[in-house]
Amino acid sequence: MNERRNGKKSRDSDRVSLRPVAVPVHDPSAAGETGFISGRATESMFYSQTRNGSKTFSKRDNALLKDSLFVIKRNDTHHIISENYYYKTEPYYTILQHELEGKKVEPTSSAVLDAYVIPICLTRAASAGIPVCEWGISQAYVPLPAILYGLNYFSTTLDYFVVSDNEKAKDVIKHITNNGKYPFCYQKFPDGSDIVTCTSVFGRTADAGTPVSDYAEKIYEIFRLPLVKLVFVVTGDSYALSSLSPTRYAQLSEGERTLLSAYLSNQEFL
Amino acid sequence: MSRLGIFVDRKTLSNAEQLTSLIRCRDVAEDLGHSVEFIFPVDINKIEKVDALFIRARTDPMNITYVAARMASLLGIPVIDDPRSIQVCSDKINMYAHLMRGHVSIPRTVFLSRSDLTIEHVAHLFDILGSPLVVKEPSTSFSLRVERVHDVAEFFKVARRFIKMSDWIVVQQFIESRYDWRVGVLDGKLLYACKYTIPSVTFKIQASVNGHLVYCSVESVPPDQVPPHVIQLGIDAAHAIGTGLYGVDIKNNNGDAYVIEVNDNPSLESGEDTCYPSVYHTLVSHLLRK
Repeated sequence: MNERRNGKKSRDSDRVSLRPVAVPVHDPSAAGETGFISGRATESMFYSQTRNGSKTFSKRDNALLKDSLFVIKRNDTHHIISENYYYKTEPYYTILQHELEGKKVEPTSSAVLDAYVIPICLTRAASAGIPVCEWGISQAYVPLPAILYGLNYFSTTLDYFVVSDNEKAKDVIKHITNNGKYPFCYQKFPDGSDIVTCTSVFGRTADAGTPVSDYAEKIYEIFRLPLVKLVFVVTGDSYALSSLSPTRYAQLSEGERTLLSAYLSNQEFL
Repeated sequence: MSRLGIFVDRKTLSNAEQLTSLIRCRDVAEDLGHSVEFIFPVDINKIEKVDALFIRARTDPMNITYVAARMASLLGIPVIDDPRSIQVCSDKINMYAHLMRGHVSIPRTVFLSRSDLTIEHVAHLFDILGSPLVVKEPSTSFSLRVERVHDVAEFFKVARRFIKMSDWIVVQQFIESRYDWRVGVLDGKLLYACKYTIPSVTFKIQASVNGHLVYCSVESVPPDQVPPHVIQLGIDAAHAIGTGLYGVDIKNNNGDAYVIEVNDNPSLESGEDTCYPSVYHTLVSHLLRK
């Protein structure tokens, strides 16, 4: 819970560090001894000079530049803030590095996989009482209209397709399954429905008090993703979660940027 | 009587050896008094109806096998491979990091990020790790995206290709050997052992040579003929990952044994278990023991 909202002052506020990913600076002459190289690994596991180090930030300059990654520490928890948390990306490995070093980190590597693999995301969200789209797995056939997501190594939750006729569905399925090689996930898309997206910043949205803002808070409680785009299917007054996907700093509204900057600069407390 | 689900996909069943192996697994389970159901990706909701799940399809955190494993896990259903093992073993960065943390003997290993790919760094790696080096894209399986490089130029040619698929890549000291040991471990105990003899035309267990796929030969080896330190290393490596089913690849070079990788979902269809006729009995009993 945000401490400012609770009216409490954080005793740890002075200890918050805002920095690009903390990494050991590699000393080539000492690599063998310091253990960036591992044969029998009593040593540090990661060898890096400047992980994501092309962008550096200070407390005065928390610029939200493309691909920048922040680690903020609050009450012994390291929060990894990034535009995306995809598998095998710099943010994913940063999380992993913290986990392997025994540090408490949010989100966890398991949570980001859960968040970005649609059936698991929806199953976990439904378990927490969040309404979700009705979904299924298919190799070819889908009841139309539907939203289609790829479910394989090459797909991302950013790529979803709304299909309402067989011809288009056939083309999309061919594309997202790599010519039928992989299964895919479909969701029912009732007639008259719309897709609505919003961005969650530590579980908060720029527009508070809406149905979506309540869900954003619950979704944050499940996956602990500091920055994530929520995709909902809206039918009449009903909202159903379709997916969670990465976002870009450049796509944030003024309100969302202000909110994120407030967290980064410790004006908002976790 | 319990219900065992075997999760398969089209590719699993299109391979005659795998199909035969799965039928053997089904027969063993039925002989033990259990019922068996093959579950395909489109039937994923059937997972909730089984008492244990055995995944027999290529695993990856981004594909349907991970969904199946995670679903089973969320439902409290015993599953091989469990989602954590899939997450760790499918990503060589994660896998080697676990082995390092567990003080398991591996070739000297370095993880490089995009920003580490400088001529100075790479030249230094050749200085300290020797030549050739082995470069791996973390999601490699069946030796795909594993390359041996002899100089800086060759390194960059490979690394630039791999770094498009992953923000970090693996660089390792090359360990020469004529064969790899494969130690099968279940729940921390030896399940089987075999030798993968590497074809003379390659350094990998599977490779494309002049357009033809070349496979290693498989020879099941009884436990008393496997060096004890190799078995122990396999068990130690599995322990560093988890308590599931693993196939640990080990190079035993002049008495020094190194773990090359730990595989979840290890192959059981190529004769790996010929000397171990109770492999499926042990597996099924383990999964349905509760």
